Amino acid sequence: MTESKLRVSLMPTPPEGVELPDKPRATFRWVSTAIVIALVWWSATGIDAKWSRLLEAPGDMWTLCRVMFSNMEASEIPELVGAMWESIAIAWLGTIIAALFAVPMSFLAAENLVGKPVAWITRQIFNLLRAIPEIILALAFIPIFGLKPMAGVLAIGVGSIGTLGKLFYEIIEGIHKGPLEAADAVGASPLQRLRWGVLPQVTPEITSFLLYRFEVNIRASAVLGLVGAGGIGSDLAEALKFKDFGTAGLGLIIVVLGTICVDTMSGAVRRRIVSGKKAMLDVEHEALLNEGRMGV
Amino acid sequence: MTIVNETGPTAVPELPAKPGPSVFAIGTAIGAVVLTIICARSVGFSLNEIVTNFTRKNSVVEGLLNPDWGQIWSRRSRSAFVETLQLAVLGTATGATAALPLALWSTTFGNPNRWLRLIVRSFNNVIRSIPDLLWALLFVTAVGIGALSGLLALFFFSLAVTTKLTSDTLDGIDMGPIEAANAAGANLNQMLRTAVVPQILPSYTSFVLYNFELNLRASAVLGLVGAGGIGARIEFFRGRGDWEKLWGLVVMFFLVVFVVERISVTLRRRLV
Amino acid sequence: MIRFSNANVTYPNGVSAMKDLDLQIDDGEFVVVVGLSGAGKSTLIRAINGLVPLTSGELGVNGHEVHDLSRAGMRELRSDIGMIFQGFNLVDRTTVLKNVLMGRLHKVSTWRTLIGRYPQADIDIAARALARVEIIEKTYTRASDLSGGQRQRVGIARALAQEPSILLADEPVASLDPPTSHVVMRYLQQISRDLGITTIVNLHFLDLATAYADRIIGLRDGALVFDGPGSDCDETVFESIYGRSLTADDTMAKHAAL
Repeated sequence: MTESKLRVSLMPTPPEGVELPDKPRATFRWVSTAIVIALVWWSATGIDAKWSRLLEAPGDMWTLCRVMFSNMEASEIPELVGAMWESIAIAWLGTIIAALFAVPMSFLAAENLVGKPVAWITRQIFNLLRAIPEIILALAFIPIFGLKPMAGVLAIGVGSIGTLGKLFYEIIEGIHKGPLEAADAVGASPLQRLRWGVLPQVTPEITSFLLYRFEVNIRASAVLGLVGAGGIGSDLAEALKFKDFGTAGLGLIIVVLGTICVDTMSGAVRRRIVSGKKAMLDVEHEALLNEGRMGV
Repeated sequence: MTIVNETGPTAVPELPAKPGPSVFAIGTAIGAVVLTIICARSVGFSLNEIVTNFTRKNSVVEGLLNPDWGQIWSRRSRSAFVETLQLAVLGTATGATAALPLALWSTTFGNPNRWLRLIVRSFNNVIRSIPDLLWALLFVTAVGIGALSGLLALFFFSLAVTTKLTSDTLDGIDMGPIEAANAAGANLNQMLRTAVVPQILPSYTSFVLYNFELNLRASAVLGLVGAGGIGARIEFFRGRGDWEKLWGLVVMFFLVVFVVERISVTLRRRLV
Repeated sequence: MIRFSNANVTYPNGVSAMKDLDLQIDDGEFVVVVGLSGAGKSTLIRAINGLVPLTSGELGVNGHEVHDLSRAGMRELRSDIGMIFQGFNLVDRTTVLKNVLMGRLHKVSTWRTLIGRYPQADIDIAARALARVEIIEKTYTRASDLSGGQRQRVGIARALAQEPSILLADEPVASLDPPTSHVVMRYLQQISRDLGITTIVNLHFLDLATAYADRIIGLRDGALVFDGPGSDCDETVFESIYGRSLTADDTMAKHAAL
């Protein structure tokens, strides 16, 4: 402290002295923290990991990076870009197929359109489909369709129906009743009600979610190739298996650049679509916060 | 019924020209269709093929309809099961915890240095574009097969997911308390701890739980490239064509995931 | 003591919010600053604790030259200056106590802040601050559950907890209804008198200004146009500050009647 100014003390205090009220107990917080710590402790002690290698890991990664990025060959670029394009194509088709199923199905899951029992069943179907990782679906589809991109497309397609359906019915349930009532008041049929009361409100958001899911699916399809369902994953896996590190490094860069590219373009389109509303562009984020409010 | 127009003869008034759908909307719609057709060609899509293949008899679907519940008695499967859960817990605990400071470092108020901020943001963008299995493959190549690689992979994956969600939330916080903390003479860390973190803590916790759900699914398949968990068992059964055992394992694991998710959703509802 | 010498503030967008200001405020004074929006009231207040830097000129606060201060020195200075905001600037999700303890941040080590365990001595100071604004029964209530007037009282408690020698209030009652505004102004006046804290308040409403201020400073377009006791303020003075004749918007009583 340079210049010490005499601090003003908060006297005079009230005559009866100053006492804070009793502190409320935060039981929920203590219990849940204890549970979490216990879980983490159990996992850390129980897991069979060679911890000694943890110290060497940064060094190993650095070596790998060095070897990957210093042996890249420009001649490989066309083939890898083609493979990345295939991954993008797989992701896009998969998303479209998922949408074709999810959009009609989501109407069956919206409580404000159909009854509660029907909605509940459809929702559970969505939950089931959401739970299965795409790669396991890919594993299942490969014996059926062969080691071809088709298997990947269907894996992504089926896997996305659940998430898209869930996002869609939440939108539908959030629509304003006004246009619906107006449609009913003029005696519209259910289909007309759909066309004029529901669709205009939900189309921008649905499109936005579709594009978001496409971005997520790019990542999924990049890895599907690791098990042989087409795309750049198989090139990467092969390169690493045969210690062709240069190709692997190049492939990695192409995956990262390709993904960022798709994200940027898709993000720009989404921004255009939802501009004018309070734009929360991260669909995942918004859905998570909504989930808290809307419940299962 | 005649339409009576007070100002003139009973002619139908002329409507203004109808505005067409925006160029943007038409453009996107056409673009989407064209893209779909191109992709379908690239991939060799054939509806015919789907139908014929699906209806053909195959062991995959048969195994699915008749899963081997006995997997629960298999000691190897059980320990792989447990390892999968532990990987998910540890991956979330480490990655999601590190995500909070990383997200704070990518904001203007948490990181006054422009270049450092740019570096952090670029880092976040790059790690976000690498899928979980690819992380696993890289670590397995560098560090070796086993749970450690899986853990490292999940660490980075979790870091990517939670940092993104948290920084999006940080973009929308109230700056008022930050101004108050600075006006009272707090240093950077004190300001962040008292004025910023309390604002996002409920959302952040919700994201951590969500991250855990994602990690459960990811850890189930990491073993496919050798990074620990039930993935190795899945690959084992697949290699042998033993679909009944495979589905038995998978279905049981995902029943557990399902239950955990329901709990997680309920918890998250309490937070937000 | 606060002294502006030939002080100027020009914002990056070209707006000149303080023009050649020469002003001295002695310890213990209760000063009210009035003027139109954009006249420079906010700039004046925020220059004192360095939130707005001077473009030229000098500003001495408690013996320090504000623009010479290092970051650490600035924090030290600010810890001695309490600030109260129009929007209260409380952390809505936490308790009143945690909010008030923010006033002790400079005195408490960072480590303790991070884990959230404040020393008992600091908690006692917070308690006394809360008692002074008569809101101690709400110690463990969430800030978002309070009314506007209660929140501003918490804001005052937070500033008091710093044990400051100067108190700055930027439109502290603009978001409050008339009766509550009077309550808050009374607290500020009492605190300034009892504890000898130099207090500077920005106000929008003239009747409040004349009712509570010992000394009124009128700003217009960044320049000082009036400096004197409230009793000297008549209609002509106000018109010179506002550049126009008074309207109902300028007095709280009449504004409330609108």
